[in-house]
Amino acid sequence: MRLCDIKIQNKVSGLDTLKKQSRKIWNGNIPSPSLLTVAVLIAILMTLPLIYVVYQSFLAGTASWMRLISNRIPQLLWNTLSLSISVTILSSSIGVVLAWIVNRTDLPGRKIWKGLLALPVVIPPYIGAVTYIIVFGPRGWVFQLINRTATQVRELPFTIYSFAGVVLVMTLFTYPYVFLITGSAMRKTSSAYEEVSRSLGHNGFTTFFKVILPLLVPSIGASSILVFLYVLSDFGAVSMLRYVTFTSAIYFQRAGFDIPSAAVLSLVLIAITLVVLFIEKLVKKKKVYHQSKGMVKEPKTISLNRFKLPALLFVLFIFTISVLLPVSVLIYWTVMGLNSGLGLYNNAFLGYTLNSFRVAGSAAIISILLSVPVIYLYARHRSIVSSVIYKLTYTGYALPGVIIALGLVFLFNNHIPVLYSTVTLVVLAQVIRFMPQVLQAGESAISLVSPRMEESARSLGQSTWKVLLTITLPSMLPGLLAGGALVFVSALKELPATLMLRPPGFDTLAVRVYYQASEALYIQAAPGALLIILISLLPLHYLLKNY
Amino acid sequence: MKTNKVLTALGISSLVLLAGCANTSSESGEANDELVVYSSRNEQFVADLLDKFESDTGISVSALHGVEPLQLMEERNNVQADVFISNDIGALEYLNNEELLKSTDSDNVESIEEQYRAENNEWIALSSRARGFIYNKDLIDEEDVPTRMEDLMDDTYSSVENGFAITRGGNGGMISNVSALRHEWGDERTKDWVEAIQENAAGIFEGHGDIRRAVGEGIHAFGLVNNYYYHQQLLEPENNNVGFVYPDQADGEMGAIVNAAGVGLLNDSPNEGAAETFLNWLLEEENQLAFVGESLEVPINTELDPPFEQAVNLSELTVQDMPLRELGNYFEDTRSLIEDAGLDLNLR
Repeated sequence: MRLCDIKIQNKVSGLDTLKKQSRKIWNGNIPSPSLLTVAVLIAILMTLPLIYVVYQSFLAGTASWMRLISNRIPQLLWNTLSLSISVTILSSSIGVVLAWIVNRTDLPGRKIWKGLLALPVVIPPYIGAVTYIIVFGPRGWVFQLINRTATQVRELPFTIYSFAGVVLVMTLFTYPYVFLITGSAMRKTSSAYEEVSRSLGHNGFTTFFKVILPLLVPSIGASSILVFLYVLSDFGAVSMLRYVTFTSAIYFQRAGFDIPSAAVLSLVLIAITLVVLFIEKLVKKKKVYHQSKGMVKEPKTISLNRFKLPALLFVLFIFTISVLLPVSVLIYWTVMGLNSGLGLYNNAFLGYTLNSFRVAGSAAIISILLSVPVIYLYARHRSIVSSVIYKLTYTGYALPGVIIALGLVFLFNNHIPVLYSTVTLVVLAQVIRFMPQVLQAGESAISLVSPRMEESARSLGQSTWKVLLTITLPSMLPGLLAGGALVFVSALKELPATLMLRPPGFDTLAVRVYYQASEALYIQAAPGALLIILISLLPLHYLLKNY
Repeated sequence: MKTNKVLTALGISSLVLLAGCANTSSESGEANDELVVYSSRNEQFVADLLDKFESDTGISVSALHGVEPLQLMEERNNVQADVFISNDIGALEYLNNEELLKSTDSDNVESIEEQYRAENNEWIALSSRARGFIYNKDLIDEEDVPTRMEDLMDDTYSSVENGFAITRGGNGGMISNVSALRHEWGDERTKDWVEAIQENAAGIFEGHGDIRRAVGEGIHAFGLVNNYYYHQQLLEPENNNVGFVYPDQADGEMGAIVNAAGVGLLNDSPNEGAAETFLNWLLEEENQLAFVGESLEVPINTELDPPFEQAVNLSELTVQDMPLRELGNYFEDTRSLIEDAGLDLNLR
């Protein structure tokens, strides 16, 4: 009896301390266990592929490891890092210079250029690569043009299938990240510093390097890291241009179902990604210089004077090679297709389009639904636990799609065979990769609504339901929808995970474009590519507004 | 707390939704009105055949193209495909040794010579190909094209104008080429060969179609391909000034390396009935020809006229003295040999 009493007492006091502890963690604002459970489940779902790949790589055995470390990994490291670093440097330089010209100088038509120069962001690099092969390939338009003139040449003096070619193509379709992000930072930076510099007698050049550039370091850093991560993760453009990085090596290893090798290579790629993210954190810690309230006045524009023409030519040149050229090539082949009477716009094409919409639409809707509990927990029940959950759901966003797909292939083939080789798996991969876009947009939307509003509505006698439906969700909705639109577009363009996970007979526009382009069937590839670009234009307005 | 409950419900329902949109396309049961085909051949060569099957029988086909045989190994406990169409007998025999393929007994199976079938018809070869060199007549004279496989180890061919092209080592045709050399030369010399061609080649491509186009367009002087890619290039409206050399034809040389494309049915597959219908249908002579289709290979069935009339028949060639089945025993180690040399991922 007595013993039992003590035990119960102990239990009660144990429970008490547990309660206290948990109240402390949650700052007295404990979420219901069920909400917490769902959020945890979502976080697990989002991180599972990563965990499984890492687990597989440890199972790979020393033999696999030794073989790969001795010959393959050093070569791939060099290929991958030299490409990522070159593209990052080049596209940051172009992005910053363009952003400065467009935002800070009296360039003619600068308002229009601001939009036009961001356009390459909607052209997936693999589609860009196709158009560059068509024009600059060994027997491309340039070669034909040269041979049509009197001179007969057998070989172009350059080849697009080279390191330089890959760097060029990747740069042209990634610089907009830098252009958009640093451009927005420039608009937010007070021009007072510049004025001081100018009044002290420094010219525009010195002012740019000594004053403007240092102020922009955080935004340049953040956007370069985006570019770097993008290059790490790209599969389509790199493989079309016959360059092998970790990402394409993993793709080929898995296509040959050399699972241990694919897992080992993935682990190295994950490690590179983590290092990059760590660097990002260091950059972010540095001070943010922009001033968003008070003294910001419309920055003075700098007169370009005699540099006006060169600046205009530069802007025009970049626009031509990154937008005009690829889009014209695609329009040309699409029109050729329409005139060819091949009947390319048939049921099959419609089927691919519908499949694309089905995957992208489901991914968008599911991403919106899944992100609501996570955002709510993070925003309304702040604690270390909810931040960890929130951050874990970002896993797929930072990692290359091939790794997500690889993890899902392993996991489902071995443990959940019913769902293996189904469209669900394709959708799941897109959700894991792109849902963080909804999290970002939704979180910033909910943070604008004070919880006090919800509380006061409740204190005025409104039911919880009504508060949720009339205040919380509507306030989040614009953000959620915008995020959903971004997910839709990203999933529409997505290539490697779809290629690796699609069931037999299931083709999407992106998959068809990739296949047809690699078989040099440009007439067939062009309409799909053009359609992907057109649809990607839709949420661009939101993207531009946000940066 | 009510808010939390609502959100919980929302979260759970969307998780369920995600799981739910699964079974829209698969799992039709035993109706046998559909068929899942895995194929390692180029989609262009198989698509018409499968369309014909659909319209002839009303069975709907879902196909996955560009599949490597090890995917079937990986899925052995969760079989997805009913039929595997392969362009490499080595791969088929390897899967057969692993007991993934099932024995069959089709109506017209005798139309294929026994040496082109597995012991219990676990696989059946339908079209043949031989390895050789496609060359561009504008760039190189026939006598300057190598006449033996081992010639490629010779540095002089790396300095031929515009150089020569091979496929990456992950390619099925290249894998069986290497297997055949291992049978002939042993591993040491074959390894030297793989390393040397990787060193000497000017272009390393994803597939043979890329090579024939590149040689036709004069980007490279010659390339190592299967003979039917030469047939295909001859039929192109332009860039078709190409020739072909069957190597190792002289007395005492090993003879041309031969391989075949064929088909096998999988054990415990989802639609076994439809798979058998497919095999019976495929062995009808008309459909044996449709199997060759646009690839312009030579049908194994000697009763049939090759779709490409000028095609050199196997009987006119000196052919390597090795039963095709033998390729299956080399398959796995060949892959690791190629991987050790780094050719499986090399592209240029």
